[in-house]
Amino acid sequence: MIKITDLEKYYRTEEVQTVALNKLSFDVREGEFVAIMGPSGCGKSTLLNILGLLDDPDGGSFIFNGIEVSGFNERKRANLRKHNIGFVFQSFNLIDELTVYENVELPLIYTGVKATDRKNRVHEVLEKMQIMHRRNHFPQQLSGGQQQRVAVARAVVNNPKLILADEPTGNLDSSNGNEVMDLLTELNQQGTTIIMVTHSEHDAKFSHRIIRMLDGQKVTENVLV
Amino acid sequence: MIKNYFKIAWRNIRKRKSVALINILGLALGFSCAILIFLFIQFHLTFDNFHKDSDRIYRFVSEVHRDHIAYKSTVPPALPNVFKNDYNYAEKVAKIIDRGEQLITVNSGATPQRYKPRTAFVEPDFFRIFNFPLIDKDFSDELTAPNTAIITREMAKKLFGDTSPINQTFIWDNKDTIRVTGVLKDLPKNTLINSRVFISFKTLQTSDRTSWIATESWTGTATSLQCFTLLRLNQDPLKIEQEMKKWPAKYHPEPVSTEDHYKLQPFPDIHFDSRYSNSINIKLLWILGAIGFFLILIACINFINISAAQSVYRSKEVGVRKVLGSFKDQLFRQFLTETFLITLIALIIGFGLSVLFLPFFNNTFNLSLSKNGLINFRFAGFIAILLIGVAILAGSYPGIILARIAPVLALKRKLTQSDTGSSLTRKILVTSQFVISIVLIIAVLVIGKQIKYATSSDLGYDTSTIVMVGLPETLEQAQLNTLKNKIVQSSNIKRVSICFTSPGAQTDGWGTDVNFNGNPKYEKFLIQSKMGDEDYIETFGIQLVAGRNFIKKDSVDEVLVNETFGTKIGINSPEELLGKPIKISDDYIQGRIVGVVKDFYNQDFHGTISPVFIAPAPDLWYNEIGVKINRKNTKEALQHIEQQWTSYFPNFIFEYAFLNDRVTEMYKSEQQFLSLTRLFSFLAIFIDGLGIYGLVSFFVAQKTKEVGIRKVLGGRVIDILGLFFKDFFTLIGIAGLIASPIAWYFMNDWLQHYAYRTQINWWVFALPIGCVLVLTLLIASYKGYRAATANPVKSLRSE
Ligand SMILES: Nc1ncnc2c1ncn2[C@@H]1O[C@H](COP(=O)(O)OP(=O)(O)O)[C@@H](O)[C@H]1O
Ligand SMILES: [Mg+2]
Repeated sequence: MIKITDLEKYYRTEEVQTVALNKLSFDVREGEFVAIMGPSGCGKSTLLNILGLLDDPDGGSFIFNGIEVSGFNERKRANLRKHNIGFVFQSFNLIDELTVYENVELPLIYTGVKATDRKNRVHEVLEKMQIMHRRNHFPQQLSGGQQQRVAVARAVVNNPKLILADEPTGNLDSSNGNEVMDLLTELNQQGTTIIMVTHSEHDAKFSHRIIRMLDGQKVTENVLV
Repeated sequence: MIKNYFKIAWRNIRKRKSVALINILGLALGFSCAILIFLFIQFHLTFDNFHKDSDRIYRFVSEVHRDHIAYKSTVPPALPNVFKNDYNYAEKVAKIIDRGEQLITVNSGATPQRYKPRTAFVEPDFFRIFNFPLIDKDFSDELTAPNTAIITREMAKKLFGDTSPINQTFIWDNKDTIRVTGVLKDLPKNTLINSRVFISFKTLQTSDRTSWIATESWTGTATSLQCFTLLRLNQDPLKIEQEMKKWPAKYHPEPVSTEDHYKLQPFPDIHFDSRYSNSINIKLLWILGAIGFFLILIACINFINISAAQSVYRSKEVGVRKVLGSFKDQLFRQFLTETFLITLIALIIGFGLSVLFLPFFNNTFNLSLSKNGLINFRFAGFIAILLIGVAILAGSYPGIILARIAPVLALKRKLTQSDTGSSLTRKILVTSQFVISIVLIIAVLVIGKQIKYATSSDLGYDTSTIVMVGLPETLEQAQLNTLKNKIVQSSNIKRVSICFTSPGAQTDGWGTDVNFNGNPKYEKFLIQSKMGDEDYIETFGIQLVAGRNFIKKDSVDEVLVNETFGTKIGINSPEELLGKPIKISDDYIQGRIVGVVKDFYNQDFHGTISPVFIAPAPDLWYNEIGVKINRKNTKEALQHIEQQWTSYFPNFIFEYAFLNDRVTEMYKSEQQFLSLTRLFSFLAIFIDGLGIYGLVSFFVAQKTKEVGIRKVLGGRVIDILGLFFKDFFTLIGIAGLIASPIAWYFMNDWLQHYAYRTQINWWVFALPIGCVLVLTLLIASYKGYRAATANPVKSLRSE
């Protein structure tokens, strides 16, 4: 499903040029659950942003579903992203001015789903995430675990083929963290491909394969199953 | 999607109420001004546009060619008759004599009721040329018989209450009984014709001193007479004017110059043709329109700056929306929708404010704008353009900034200032706001200064000690002299003169022809007349520079002239003028010059001092009494005058005016313009202030951390305030440098309308810049002081 080859990304500031990704290559097959680990600043988030088509690589190739996407313009990327990719962030990133329901509904609005279908779909997902009773609350009124469940609901509402999770349990205590990991595992078992950045060996064990990075490069790969 | 946009927009407004308030308040004020200005402009652009055959209606006017061209909005009274009877041009011709306020008495009930409505004398066809319909019927033979009148509905109600006015009578000027034969629908406000009582023209022929105007005379003209014609179809006014060019020579060779030219002024042009009377300068509309635009621009800039700065707070939302697949243009449209919503709220409030303040606006600025002007397609179009225009103007730039926020950055950390629009753009915008305000304040100062100059300069005659008292129209000389003697008999009265009018008038008409020293030809210039008795110059404090005053006698053979008369003739020594014969206006006055008076301002500061003569009137053409009083006992003096006056004229209304008020009155339109500019500049500054407050609040929030750190490091409060001042100081300085020449250019241009101009001093520029500076510093210090004195530990922790 994903094939990256010699991926490069630099950041230039006035004084220095940082190499965030240095000729990074790996594949992810459909249905896989991959964990990416490495010390802070090694390029994990940068990688995820490129995989999520939020950012453009400076070099190398990125083939998504058999199409080379590294040269795509912003509009094409947005189009591809909204139909295929869901995101889960460490800091949840819910829109504060929208209710739980409205946050989860948003991806459906952008993909042009009809209002009645939207309602059914959002209810379905909220039920599944067990957050239905909170649908008219605003994010600030929820606990961290609840917020992350809303974020997961939002990520999956469009039935994406790929979910990208950047330290999804980083801001959660262990029981809430486990709950989120269970959700992700369940989604994976239903066929969604998942790539997750994590600092936690515990969380990484939920995956099939761990890619370890250092200074923008892949160091090792452990296959767990 | 739209629903979602509105929802989030509304929640954002509620979440950051103070920001929304600043934006909405600024825009609403701008809108309400724009709406009022719209009404004002619409009022003038639709002036007299409701007459059916407007394109065939013309006013007869004259160009008087002497040493310069004088434009008169009238013609000799015989001309319209010739035009109608001897030629085949006109379908209808009608004259109207506007006599201003006339005394009208209704003898109903125990005591007679007296009114002074504006009254005109009109020929019957007048109302067939113009579209002022009667109530319930068409014109038939109204105004054909002498001593009949038609009056407006409003006037009918005033005079006769609820009883039917038809065939009721009133008494005009205590002499003629006039019968009402018709009632007009109330005249609209935006018309040249503003009388309330229209008496048949024929009434004038039987009596009255204006009777000469009513006859077939080619000598003399009076602006109170206006003549209109409705041309037949397919007439070429230019050809007619060619024919009329021959008329001065044909009908009245001397002293009228054969170069004088009678013309047809298209009726729709009258309101804006400032050469002739009854017009306004169309530039005024442009200026007001521009001011309205600039007020809105200031409010838009506030919106742009504040929204751009605030986009920091929106970055997460934008980032998330992009992650979820939103396109740039969707985000842009979302923000435009929000702006649209805010603009709409502001517009509704602005509309409410303008309706609320309309009566106040009318009152303060002496206007008569109506709410009805807001119910038409023109206004709907204006509002739509305003709404969409402002939403796009204010929303585009912040919209672009928001839409181009990179999601990766937005989600990673809070954005910095540089991500929210360039600071150069913001500086340019803020500077242009300052420029607008400073220009407006400079304008206020210069206009005010010119008015002060014109009203408080030494005019060459006294104004502060003189009371002008009106006289009834029909009088006898003996009667006047005894009244004068009675008034003088009080220690509070210093001097009394019976005269036609006071020395200064707003514009002193065009004057009359004068013949000097028995020369074969009349002079190339016209002379102004100041008719008054032998006490005229003493009462008004006009100084003699040569010779003596004229002596009271039965015939008029002694005349005073002013210095300018000598200059025009080419005789610079006043003594040389003495004893020379002078003939005025076709032998109306013949005499010798016995004295020369120092020049005084015979008209307002728009016009230069004209050649003037002072002489007693040969016929009884006196209008007023000038009374020099002891201002220490003003009340007693006025009481005394009123007592004497009313005992002589028990059936008339006593009216008086201080001469200095009359001088002030000459600058009424300037005063009005000044009040308007003052209001608008105040609003501009206020909206500016709102913007500064908004920006400073935002920067303070951003800098709280920095300020906190500095305090920990031992910075003093004053250093910290310096952070805020430095930027604004430079911007206001630059704004001052840009605004001053712009304002100088426009105000200098404006001053060119005056023959006598005030100086534009340095402080006219310094003061506004100082004002803006002080205001900005006050706002910045208030906000800055609060930040600077906040507990540093607290502000560090909150980040
Ligand atoms: N927008 C940016 N500008 C400059 N440098 C950046 C930017 N984003 C990331 N970096 C740098 O790139 C490197 C990789 O960052 P990141 O992908 O966020 O690492 P990780 O997520 O593994 O902690 C780091 O050295 C970081 O400082
Ligand atoms: Mg990271």
